[in-house]
Amino acid sequence: MPEVVNTSNLGADLDAADNRETMIKVDHVGMMFNIASAQLNSLKEYAIAAVRRELAFKEFWALDDISFEVKKGDVYGIMGTNGSGKSTILKIIAGVLEPTRGKCTIHGKIAPLIELGAGFDLELTARENIYLNGALLGYSKKFIDQNFDEIVEFSEVSKFLDMPMKNYSSGMVARIAFAIATIMVPDILIVDEVLSVGDFMFRQKCERRIQELIRDHGVTVLIVSHSNEQVRRLCNKAIWIEKGHTRMIGTAEDVCRIYQLVGGRTGCAESEKVIMDTFENTDVNTSCVQCNAIYGDTKFGTSAKMAQAEQGHVDTVVYTPSEDHVQSLIATGLASALGAKMLTCAEQSVPDVTRQALEQLAPDNAIFVSCTLFQNPQKIAADLPKAPAHTHVITEGTNTRLSLAVFEFGRERGIWGDTCVISPEFCVGDQFAILPAATKLSAPLFFTSKKTVLDRDIIDVVKAHFKRALVLAGEEAINEGHLAPLRQAGVEIVRFIADNEHEANERIFDWLEEERIREGAGPVERLVVVNPRHPDDAFCVGNYAARNDALILLNNPSNLDYVASAIRQVQRFGGSIRTLDFVGDPSIFSDLDKTILHRIAASARLDAANGGR
Amino acid sequence: MQSNGKNDPMKEFPTPAMRRNWFTLCMLVSKDFKKKYRRSALGVVWSVLNPLLMMAVLALVFSNFIKFADIPNFPMYLILGNTIFALMSDSTRDGMASILESTSLIKKIRIEKLIFPLEKVLFHLLNFCFSLVAVLLVMIFFRIMPTANVLWLPLLMLYAVLFSAGLSMLLAAAAVYFRDVLHLWSVVITAWTYATPLFYPIEILPAWMQKAEFFNPMYHYVTYFRDIFLYGNTPSLTENLVCLAFGLASFAIGFAVFRKLEGKFILYV
Repeated sequence: MPEVVNTSNLGADLDAADNRETMIKVDHVGMMFNIASAQLNSLKEYAIAAVRRELAFKEFWALDDISFEVKKGDVYGIMGTNGSGKSTILKIIAGVLEPTRGKCTIHGKIAPLIELGAGFDLELTARENIYLNGALLGYSKKFIDQNFDEIVEFSEVSKFLDMPMKNYSSGMVARIAFAIATIMVPDILIVDEVLSVGDFMFRQKCERRIQELIRDHGVTVLIVSHSNEQVRRLCNKAIWIEKGHTRMIGTAEDVCRIYQLVGGRTGCAESEKVIMDTFENTDVNTSCVQCNAIYGDTKFGTSAKMAQAEQGHVDTVVYTPSEDHVQSLIATGLASALGAKMLTCAEQSVPDVTRQALEQLAPDNAIFVSCTLFQNPQKIAADLPKAPAHTHVITEGTNTRLSLAVFEFGRERGIWGDTCVISPEFCVGDQFAILPAATKLSAPLFFTSKKTVLDRDIIDVVKAHFKRALVLAGEEAINEGHLAPLRQAGVEIVRFIADNEHEANERIFDWLEEERIREGAGPVERLVVVNPRHPDDAFCVGNYAARNDALILLNNPSNLDYVASAIRQVQRFGGSIRTLDFVGDPSIFSDLDKTILHRIAASARLDAANGGR
Repeated sequence: MQSNGKNDPMKEFPTPAMRRNWFTLCMLVSKDFKKKYRRSALGVVWSVLNPLLMMAVLALVFSNFIKFADIPNFPMYLILGNTIFALMSDSTRDGMASILESTSLIKKIRIEKLIFPLEKVLFHLLNFCFSLVAVLLVMIFFRIMPTANVLWLPLLMLYAVLFSAGLSMLLAAAAVYFRDVLHLWSVVITAWTYATPLFYPIEILPAWMQKAEFFNPMYHYVTYFRDIFLYGNTPSLTENLVCLAFGLASFAIGFAVFRKLEGKFILYV
């Protein structure tokens, strides 16, 4: 899938009535780097390139037509993801780079904190470096003499003044650099992520100093930051630059809100608009929908948590290494059909959480499912205070064989229904989405061994034992030709063909809804949200979803297309959703990611309630 | 507050640009000096010792093994030629790499880039002054009476510094675009060392080469130095003009090229 990053302009909120003095005027600035000729470092290469007339090739516009104005007293934030041109614009403002196009006008003296301590020579002592760095920043000897004590005091290095700086900690170096750079009161201060170095105390100290400059001296400040929170706290105005284009100019509050919502993510412009519109229009009371996060300290912990979610005696536990999602999904299928709990572990060791869960659940049967053999499953079982009465080990060389072996194991016990799932190994998202159905129908999962082949063995087994096959993946992986033998044998084929994972998720939802209607089941009240990019956490989710009569919704917050799709799918249930379960820790689903869907669900619910009245 | 153009946002710092640059220059020279002698037992004495030892080795080799001709006061002849040549060769060698070495600074702060090659020349001028002590010691040892002609020395230093600074600027700018220059220049310096009568008399050269030496600036500087220190000759006006002309020409070309190219340095360093 191609990476799409939006660079369209979301609007500029320019206050024309603002008649404060302009300190920095960036006027249609463009910066072009010539990639080809920048790499020619020898006469020979240069001559060859010149002869071939390749010298001017490969233009790269790091900045394209950027315009903004910073007024006196503004604290101006520049936001954007890595490589979007923030540092380039700062260098142009600091006068280090000449813009290729446009003009940048500065009124007043600038103190650039672009990179702290650029002129330090670590062989020299701190005392010598203070003078050297001061000179490089343009201070006079007298000025440094006068302020020397203050610099030393701020940087807290008086004891080590005559020690070579190579023996200093990086925090000490940063403190000295910051102290030198801010000892004079400039008209404009440029801060380029310097606040991200040093420890907590130092950052606070720096921020206090910057705020002192702003408050007491009316200094105009330009801050570059990834940190939304920092810009929101320190700035009043902000610009968001993405891949060299202006995306948004406005108050820091506005820009931060939008940046946080859609900044730094991939996805098409329509998705972005859907998300912004719905989010802006659904600031409602969300208490009518319950929103949970399920996660443990580790991925194993998450499975253990889900397994332990309900009390009561447990008959069987299926146990599988979570390094490989295919194995885990095969095991999930078995566990759900057996009505067993499932736990995951690492290939080579048993995590403590898993062991604890195993001890707490104290099952009568333990089934170990693995493609490669466990280090010693019997031993793991024997180690437990209450060893399971029966231990089974299902292990095979390949995933295809393992899925067949698990089927065989289940068939002997008569647990399978008349539906099965066939999937290539790579359709993780589809596999998750189909899990609730697979669980309910006691359908085993069969994995094809190669990308574009449907194995003979699988065809035979399916023909012999099943009436219906749910086939995941698109035409290019499993085509009709592969499925012809099954159709001839009278097996009903259900397919979910879509261009991408989230659309396939919608197809699967369509089908699941039809099924529910056919069965006369009530509306869907619960959704379990899973990130297909972090499947490790979510293997036990099928069981969990089935028990709670929930559907599994895929959402990948770093791709706006997924988020937009998730929004559409929450809306399609017309307000019947009462509970959302997010599987994964805050690094997988942030509070904001949860809030988006939570609000949508709540708003749909409120709409339905109002419409019903 | 007045508004000044974008080209000089630092104009209003506490000191005017020239003085500020001079201070920066001094700080950089002092940094180089401190780094050169940090942790050496003899420290700055090496600046005197080095030319002396060099002279001793060369004198040993050229008066015992390879003997070109009888040159009176041969050690003195050697040390004079070597020190003035070293001023040029050392400053151009360091000056050439100076911009590339200062990449981190150039990329991050707005700074007069000319400072970097000039600082190296200044640093080696300082070293040259220390080696004058060595020259003095040799004079005392060989009982050579200085004449009033030694007072021409500041002029010679000016010529040599102009010449070296010009070359340094030219090479520094060229090295940014083509790193080949870095390798090539050491070869050129070696060839130049042999092409200049440093440890042999000019008379042993074939006639055409003796004529060609007129176009070797270093030949003029070396001869000038020996004239005023060893032979007690007063340099003629023509000689002074020739030396000045070489110095100025080199400086003018180096300066012009550097100024023309410095705007794009940041894209290549």
